Amino acid sequence: MDKEFIARGVKRCSEPKFLLWILPWIALLAFGLYAAALCLVKGLNQTNMDNRFAFGLWIFLDLTVIALGAGAFFTGFLLYILKLDALKQVINSAVVIGLVCYSGAMCVLAVDVGQPLRAWFTFWYPNVHSMLTEVTFCISCYLTVLLVEYLPIVLRNRKLRQVPEFLVFEFELHKLIYVLAGVGTFLSFFHQGSLGGLYGVLRGRPFAFREGLAVWPSTFFLFILSAAAVGPSFILLTTWMVEKIARKRLVEARVLELLGRISGLLLGVYVAAKSLDTLVWIDRTSPETGFPAVQYYAWKPFGTWILLAEIVLFGLMPALILLTPRLRAHRAWLVSAAAMACAGVALNRFVMTIQTLAVPTLSFDRYLSYTPSWQEVGTFLAVVAYGVLVYSFSFRYLQIFPAERELRVEAAGLEHELHAAAGR
Amino acid sequence: MLPWNYGFHWNAGTLVFMGAFYIVLAIVAATVIGAIERSRRALEAGKLEKIRWHSDFQDMAAGDRVCRHVLTGEFLDRKCPHDFDCRQCETHPKLIALHPVRQPAEAEDEICGMWFPLDRFYHRGHTWARPEANGTMTVGLDELASRLMGAPDSVELPQPGTRLRVNGTAFRMRKRGVDVRLLSPVDGQVVETGGADRGWYLKVKPVGRGFDVRHLLRGSEIRCWLMREMERLQLALAAEGARAPSLADGGVPMADIGAQYPEADWDAVCGKMLLEP
Repeated sequence: MDKEFIARGVKRCSEPKFLLWILPWIALLAFGLYAAALCLVKGLNQTNMDNRFAFGLWIFLDLTVIALGAGAFFTGFLLYILKLDALKQVINSAVVIGLVCYSGAMCVLAVDVGQPLRAWFTFWYPNVHSMLTEVTFCISCYLTVLLVEYLPIVLRNRKLRQVPEFLVFEFELHKLIYVLAGVGTFLSFFHQGSLGGLYGVLRGRPFAFREGLAVWPSTFFLFILSAAAVGPSFILLTTWMVEKIARKRLVEARVLELLGRISGLLLGVYVAAKSLDTLVWIDRTSPETGFPAVQYYAWKPFGTWILLAEIVLFGLMPALILLTPRLRAHRAWLVSAAAMACAGVALNRFVMTIQTLAVPTLSFDRYLSYTPSWQEVGTFLAVVAYGVLVYSFSFRYLQIFPAERELRVEAAGLEHELHAAAGR
Repeated sequence: MLPWNYGFHWNAGTLVFMGAFYIVLAIVAATVIGAIERSRRALEAGKLEKIRWHSDFQDMAAGDRVCRHVLTGEFLDRKCPHDFDCRQCETHPKLIALHPVRQPAEAEDEICGMWFPLDRFYHRGHTWARPEANGTMTVGLDELASRLMGAPDSVELPQPGTRLRVNGTAFRMRKRGVDVRLLSPVDGQVVETGGADRGWYLKVKPVGRGFDVRHLLRGSEIRCWLMREMERLQLALAAEGARAPSLADGGVPMADIGAQYPEADWDAVCGKMLLEP
């Protein structure tokens, strides 16, 4: 029934099968929406956050998805500004991932902040000296940019492009897409940075506090670098997962390797910068605030292992793998390294959000732990389900992997030749 | 946010922050409004068919976008940069001057059991244009496309007076639920419509200075092109699930090829062969 909405020459599963795939995700989304509604209606008492843990699972999720979604701006920047044409094969997927990540983050933020009727206050009465204001403005603007970038992908749908106005508008908008890519890069640079910056300026939290350049603490630059580094890795990882689930080749191997190489290069720079920053922090910044750095790691489970895991296991190791051509050429190594890089950025955001708040800062204070309530977990899962659903529908009805058709014909050609040769 | 808001201060922080914000908003809005305005102008200027073809052309597989001089062996590999409109190409006239197209002595050429008259020009989308004595062009479907489609279930022809553009839609056909558009080989105005039973579909008169057919294939080019088209057809059939024989197996394409491969995704095969991805 929906065949005329599916691009010519691509194979998609039958409707019942697709329905079977999306049903559990719809159920999860419904559960999550119920949990979120409880939080919005009854208030934040539905969560396990308190005055000490003002940031919890949701902010960790926001920071992580925004970092992982950075592939959208960075791929756009590499393709439209630096003219890395091979990335055409993944740019649409990157935009969908970016849109899912940013819109998901905005929804969770709306639940976290609460008072949805007053959400517009942050725009109408902005505190221009706050990093959070910069984050709010940049993310809202960038989400708008992503929606505009998503529009041509939707309008290229086989059925929609039969409408002349849509076809022409898509064509004209696509011609101006480099402007949006430039704006997206500008906005992403600042909001990724400001997300890091808002931890770096916390003088009252010496675990997170960092020195830096002018008004920007070092975390401002580290967040930008880490997001740019893992963005391509996340695209690589999701593309591989979609290939496995759909059992199709969607992009050329060289494109995945290119993503891996870009990710490895930036991850290498990030690991070097992060290591230097950590050494300066251990040697100078932390002692100057009256806390020897080793003290932060005295409380379990946050031992020094977490620092080593973040920098060595999920930073240096994937960087080395991705920078080694022989390993990169091997799909298992490539995907594992990309997954490790993504886990690394998630761990970093977890440390900055949760560990920062868990460690005591006053002499009478004590270490606190935090476990999210089921409502928090439910809302978190709603974002995951929402992401899977948007991506699934996009994959089915939109051409998010333009090379898919060609790769299928190429594979069939090879098979055909082999059969012909065997027949002879 | 704005000077009359509570808490607004005319200081550097506010000006820089809000200035950057408004500039970004203005750029995004200008981009969208600009695209809408350009779309309106393009539609008014009748560029719809040109845009549709350009968009389709970019969607085609790289192997389907090769230059005609690759078909004749003058280039090893070259993607057409002009959407199959050689009238815009600077390289094409130079190559034609170096290697003029040979016009075989026969009236028609037999390729894989199909007959291709040589008194006409062929479009890469399998339509042809034959010049008539009265200055019009007759437009029809070549033998390969005819065998591909068989007897169509329905044909949607343009009304006499309709303006056709090179690579724009000439007419549409429907077969086994597959709707496919055929590309116009020439610029002109439709003066008469025919049908499958008459062996041609349209008669077109020139608009302006006569027909320009530099972009169409002719003479000795036709064989090279069709041999490649047969390979493309085999690949398309193989990719869409048909257990098609290879050229080396011999034989000729049957009438209504689609009926012979009911297991194949005919929509995709027609789209690939008739250049409507």
